[in-house]
Amino acid sequence: MTRPGQRPRGAAFGRGHLLRYLNGPFSIQLSTPLADVARLVTWSYGAAMDDSSTDDSPAHFNVTLRHRSLPRRLLAPQVMFQAEDSRPLAPFPRDHAFALLEWGVNWCIATRAHQYLMLHAGAVERDGRALILPAMPGSGKSTLTAALIARGWRLLSDEFGLLDHQSGRLHPLPRAIPLKNRSIDVIRRFWPDADIGPVFTRTRKGDVAHLRPPAASLIRQAEPADPAWILFPQYVSGSPVQIGRQPQSQVFTRLSQNAFNYNLLGAVGFRSLSALVRDCPCWSIRYGDLDAVIAAIGRLTGTDGS
Amino acid sequence: MSTLCTVLGHPERIRALSPAGWDLLLREARSQQLCARLSHLLEQRGLLPECPPQAATELCAQRFFAEHTQARVRLCLRKLRRALAPTETPVVLLKGAAYAARGLAVARGRDFADLDILLPVDKLEAAETRLCASGWTARKTDPYDQRYYRRWMHELPPLVHTATGLELDVHHRLLPRTSRLKPPAAPLWRESVPLALSPYRTLSPRHMVLHSMAQLFHDGEVAGGLDNLLDIHQLLTELGIEEGFWPGLLEAAEGLHLERPLYYGLEMSRSLLGTAVPSDTLAEARRFRPPALTGSLMCALMRNALEPRYPRRRPAHVSAWLLYLRSHWLRMPPALLASHLTRKAVATLLAPASVQDTRGP
Repeated sequence: MTRPGQRPRGAAFGRGHLLRYLNGPFSIQLSTPLADVARLVTWSYGAAMDDSSTDDSPAHFNVTLRHRSLPRRLLAPQVMFQAEDSRPLAPFPRDHAFALLEWGVNWCIATRAHQYLMLHAGAVERDGRALILPAMPGSGKSTLTAALIARGWRLLSDEFGLLDHQSGRLHPLPRAIPLKNRSIDVIRRFWPDADIGPVFTRTRKGDVAHLRPPAASLIRQAEPADPAWILFPQYVSGSPVQIGRQPQSQVFTRLSQNAFNYNLLGAVGFRSLSALVRDCPCWSIRYGDLDAVIAAIGRLTGTDGS
Repeated sequence: MSTLCTVLGHPERIRALSPAGWDLLLREARSQQLCARLSHLLEQRGLLPECPPQAATELCAQRFFAEHTQARVRLCLRKLRRALAPTETPVVLLKGAAYAARGLAVARGRDFADLDILLPVDKLEAAETRLCASGWTARKTDPYDQRYYRRWMHELPPLVHTATGLELDVHHRLLPRTSRLKPPAAPLWRESVPLALSPYRTLSPRHMVLHSMAQLFHDGEVAGGLDNLLDIHQLLTELGIEEGFWPGLLEAAEGLHLERPLYYGLEMSRSLLGTAVPSDTLAEARRFRPPALTGSLMCALMRNALEPRYPRRRPAHVSAWLLYLRSHWLRMPPALLASHLTRKAVATLLAPASVQDTRGP
């Protein structure tokens, strides 16, 4: 995926990396002089090398990650994210470069990929059927998504539920899952084999470490799934599992408020979201223990073999 | 010639694009924010099926912005009609709102930041009072800014419609009071055209074109204005087929004292986007060009500043900066300009540094 000896377009000096990788339906071209970032991108998305296209064909997102000016660099090293010719995000400390890249690519997707209704949700799949976990504050969506893939669900996405306007199907976008603060240790204990990257301490969202997307998810990332269930998780320390059915009207309102681009899409977004809410049963689930909630989800969705 | 300009002027040229050509076209279209308009130009000529599917999807996905804005504008216009009814003022829609209301091809995929209207100068005060009582509020509350608009500009200080968040610019003339060129408002009103099933009016076709040209080549900074040049190109292409449009355009330019912007408009639209301008009109318009040396310098600067370059190159920055100076020079007499810029510079130094917006998930 890294093309050795090839200079990134527009790089001032000879050293640099040009990486081209696929992430769900998007191809990303990254140009950066930072070796650690190139290494982490390869670690995370290496199974999704873009061999199919030559270097000349268009990428969806052309992004660069580079140092700021030399005087600034001597004072306190920082990195800057650039998408095409815009710099939408504030600079990050040099050590947090990979976290900045991941958030930067999220920004690109959220602002441009309006061919989808973009739910802010985790999503996992079994037997072609997708379970959607909308992100609400304190829901523990990333932790629960990570725990579900540890128990055999296929990771579709941790951040974006990409719902196709025409087919109504959910497109995978298996990105590295940013585990935050305590959930890093929670997942390490729950899933000793989890492949977790370096911990970036004290970022704007606290401590962050990325869970590598499973190779199986990356290999099947062009395979959409049919939305089947919607589950609003809520983590409450020490709570037993409590499940409640959610009325459609309430689900519609909550999802429309939490989608990235519902307002922009107008009538198209309304149709996509109504179809989703009409076709999927929906519950809220309160939990304090991962094993218990996963067993309950298995029973609820009929995927536990019973 | 940039790939984007070539394709905007002659969409069928996409047939000859290599993968690298498509990459460049998409990069340029993204950076100029012309993806949605390009998608409509391609669709109008039945060319979308000939695009690589990924490119077509990406271009069309950007259409939602314009559709969203135009829906907000329609809502805002309904509120505006109710708000202004007691003043019995005629209202002319300008620019984007007018193109959309007239159903012109130029409106397709065209997003815009604010709603512009023209009112007779003697109705301004009554209209402003009504607007402020009906859900609009002033965006600039600083006393200097307020005075700046009222004394020197061609519009009231910008208002915001609180419910839709849409900015409303109430004009009473086309260019600032202090501008070098002073197009009179009377011919605009005399020729304005009513809209069917609507209380609003628009400028006549030729005045619409001249307004767009004056904005880009006299009042504006030119740089980054490829979308405005595309407006001019599409308006000329669509309105130019009407009988008597071109001779009328020259005549109207003289009536509004906008001969120079007309010259630049025709010349730039023709040379960058390949607009079909009748040769006798072009010959006539060339009478209005500046003296030889200035003329070629200006055209070179404008071409440089308008044409997308990817990645950006130095001369475009220099051209943009020179044209920025020119726009201010044309906007105000030197003494006023000096005092205004000093005042703004001091205000910037005293104000706390603005915090960068960091949205995103």
